[in-house]
Amino acid sequence: MTSRQDRNSKEGEYLGDRTNDLTQAAQRRYDGERELTTEIVYAVAAARGVEPTDVHSPPLYECVDAATVETALFGRSTSEDRPVADGTVEFTYAEFLVTVRKDGWIQVSETGARQKTS
Amino acid sequence: MGNNSSGEAEPNDGSKPHVPNPEAIADAVLKLDHVHDALGHPRRRYLCYTLLERTEWSLTDLATNIAAWEGDVPEHEVRPDERTAVYVSLYHNHVPNLVERRVVAYDETTETLSAAENTQQVLAALEGIGASLNGAQETHARSEIDDESTR
Repeated sequence: MTSRQDRNSKEGEYLGDRTNDLTQAAQRRYDGERELTTEIVYAVAAARGVEPTDVHSPPLYECVDAATVETALFGRSTSEDRPVADGTVEFTYAEFLVTVRKDGWIQVSETGARQKTS
Repeated sequence: MGNNSSGEAEPNDGSKPHVPNPEAIADAVLKLDHVHDALGHPRRRYLCYTLLERTEWSLTDLATNIAAWEGDVPEHEVRPDERTAVYVSLYHNHVPNLVERRVVAYDETTETLSAAENTQQVLAALEGIGASLNGAQETHARSEIDDESTR
């Protein structure tokens, strides 16, 4: 990732970079204010150009345990729950590859073909 | 992060009560994973409280009530973006979590929540620990319901 977004901006602009046939469609920064689940869905909505409330079926819950990812990467403000994981977490949601990075950036890329989710 | 209960992430919104000493919670509660997990997040507890007095909820109404409680504002002052954020978190996280544990049922077509086979078990646990754990939350959930029903 070569582009550095403004730290104050929660929603990044379309970058248009292509890597391995993946087109980055949207990115957004998790800052701990809202649940990671919510921020991921907002990023997917931005990638589709729809309202977050229009992102339906399936619920993100059925694709990834975002609550555990959130704790592992970012921990919580309580002393007993420190971050334990490093690096990034990737998963597919509907037609997107979603990448959650340790620094809080959520990147949503189109995989080109609509993937089956279960 | 030793088990599922501590793996539950949530925003620190300042409203999360201190979890009481596990020994203070009835053994019966601890033995029931779905009860324990259902109660593991303030939004899920609030959702369960609302089922105490009204068995059916639209997801939008519920999102509004939870946003009002979290923001400590009346329902009509809830900002649309806050309601949207809560709606998304309910739809994509907390509701499917409770559906999986059969604590609530969700009708996708009507976007309506209702009680399910494990609801009573969870409500019984909430009734038992509610006073010490989260009385203010229950009071708010009930008062919102009262407001709704008198409209």
